[in-house]
Amino acid sequence: MKCDFCEEKATVFFTQVADGAMKKVALCGACADERGVDDPEGLLMADQLLGPLSGTGVPEAPISGKSENGECLSCGFALENYQKVGRFGCSECYGAFRQEVTQRIPSLHRGGKHEGRIPQGLVAFEQRKERLTNLALALESAVEEEDYEKAAKLRDQIQEMENSESTQGGAKA
Amino acid sequence: MMRFTTLLKHPADWMSASGKETSVVLTSRVRLARNLRGFPFPGWARKAQRQEILQAVKPHVDALTAMKKGFTQELSDLNQLQKQVLVERHLISREQAARNEGSASIVNRKQTLSVMVNEEDHLRIQGIRPGLQLKQAYDLASTADQELENHLNLAFHTKWGYLTACPTNLGTGMRASAMLHLPGLALSNQIGQVLKGIDKLGLAVRGIYGEGTESLGNLYQISNQSTLGESEEAILERLERVIRDVARYETQAREKLMQTNPLMVRDQIGRAVGILGYAHIISSKEALNHLSMLRLGAETGIVPEEAVEICDQLFMETQPAHLQWRGGHKLSPESRDAIRAKMIGGHLQKVLAPAIHLEENFEKPETNAPSDSDT
Repeated sequence: MKCDFCEEKATVFFTQVADGAMKKVALCGACADERGVDDPEGLLMADQLLGPLSGTGVPEAPISGKSENGECLSCGFALENYQKVGRFGCSECYGAFRQEVTQRIPSLHRGGKHEGRIPQGLVAFEQRKERLTNLALALESAVEEEDYEKAAKLRDQIQEMENSESTQGGAKA
Repeated sequence: MMRFTTLLKHPADWMSASGKETSVVLTSRVRLARNLRGFPFPGWARKAQRQEILQAVKPHVDALTAMKKGFTQELSDLNQLQKQVLVERHLISREQAARNEGSASIVNRKQTLSVMVNEEDHLRIQGIRPGLQLKQAYDLASTADQELENHLNLAFHTKWGYLTACPTNLGTGMRASAMLHLPGLALSNQIGQVLKGIDKLGLAVRGIYGEGTESLGNLYQISNQSTLGESEEAILERLERVIRDVARYETQAREKLMQTNPLMVRDQIGRAVGILGYAHIISSKEALNHLSMLRLGAETGIVPEEAVEICDQLFMETQPAHLQWRGGHKLSPESRDAIRAKMIGGHLQKVLAPAIHLEENFEKPETNAPSDSDT
């Protein structure tokens, strides 16, 4: 993935929710330094980087469902089944049968884009995943630079985060 | 943990709303549909998967702050009658009652918050309040939702919002509804017109048990259809505006009826009181329709005000499953109708017999000071 500000490879990622929209920001090391976000632990406001309401390019994540021969690859639900029962097989079906959903929505709803609340849990989950990615990348470069003291610190931080994950338990992946 | 019998013994606070304005809007309900990522929706999941979903979800629902000392039950552990009772209380849906494996119902002590696991969606979180309190009902459900989302990986899409088994619930996953009692509009033959108007505004009107049910007792549920493209607040505001309008039409219709055709209104109410008070066999449908008239009588001062509460209690208690539960066993429809008649008659004798004022120059009971006796 490329940096949002130049052509370099992005190494720092952030997710931020503002005005009901989720924004993702990717920066290369130099741009992150320039904007004072070299600390992967630092809490960053996407608004400060991209300006308010620049919510374009919001990814349609997290569903990635695909279909084959009219069936959802995730759960095996067939599209012709939907035409009978009016329900899908799983959340990935929305990706697998994207076209049909897009066609159906105007007759069902007043708008085509979600304007309601976003699960904070999902945002926290995404942010956590990104923080781990950022820490891992920082660790990699620390090792490259043979800064073992920094590397050890980063490794401890990663371990600490992973440990706290397991104590949370539950169905959260 | 709260037992089934305890749940049933206590009426929910929304059933006997003292102090709340419930003359037209009886209750407000808001439910949120939520699903886990990575699991098939309940309707498509196999038995083992449904169990797996239940195990992943139920401990977190049980642990909700609001569910402390609440009622929590897997549906496979309830018999048909018990499930039917929960349906009549709006705590589970008819659809869920037909299911067993991997389904559960969790209800808080006050019966204002109910969570269904593995109904049409993995989670259906419902808040219920008396009167017109949609925002408060939403807050109840949303608080639980926000607590749950810290523990569950929910299926969410940035463009389509919460992903639900049926695309009619996409986006907010929120269905908000209010139960309205509209006898005035029915008696003045305006109900059809009003219902058509509501439909034109893109809102749904249904009978008392939701989708596909007929209207009984002049009770109607009005709810939002669209769940995507607007925020929760915008949907609730729009719905509330329409409900306020309908409630105003109903109040005006009642006032106008009392001015232009009081004899007809008194006749309808008098007949209802007569049948309810003295019938020996009465079906739940007939009972609901007459109770509706009795409630109108209480709201318009033709019968004592206390009858409102009795009506609301009887709306619930005279339904088939409640009646059988109270009787302690399954009953044939015939004996149900007899027991129902006896129960209603008993309640009415207590409150109404000495105080029925069917003559036209009736004045409100509180003005029945001793000086009235010589008029």
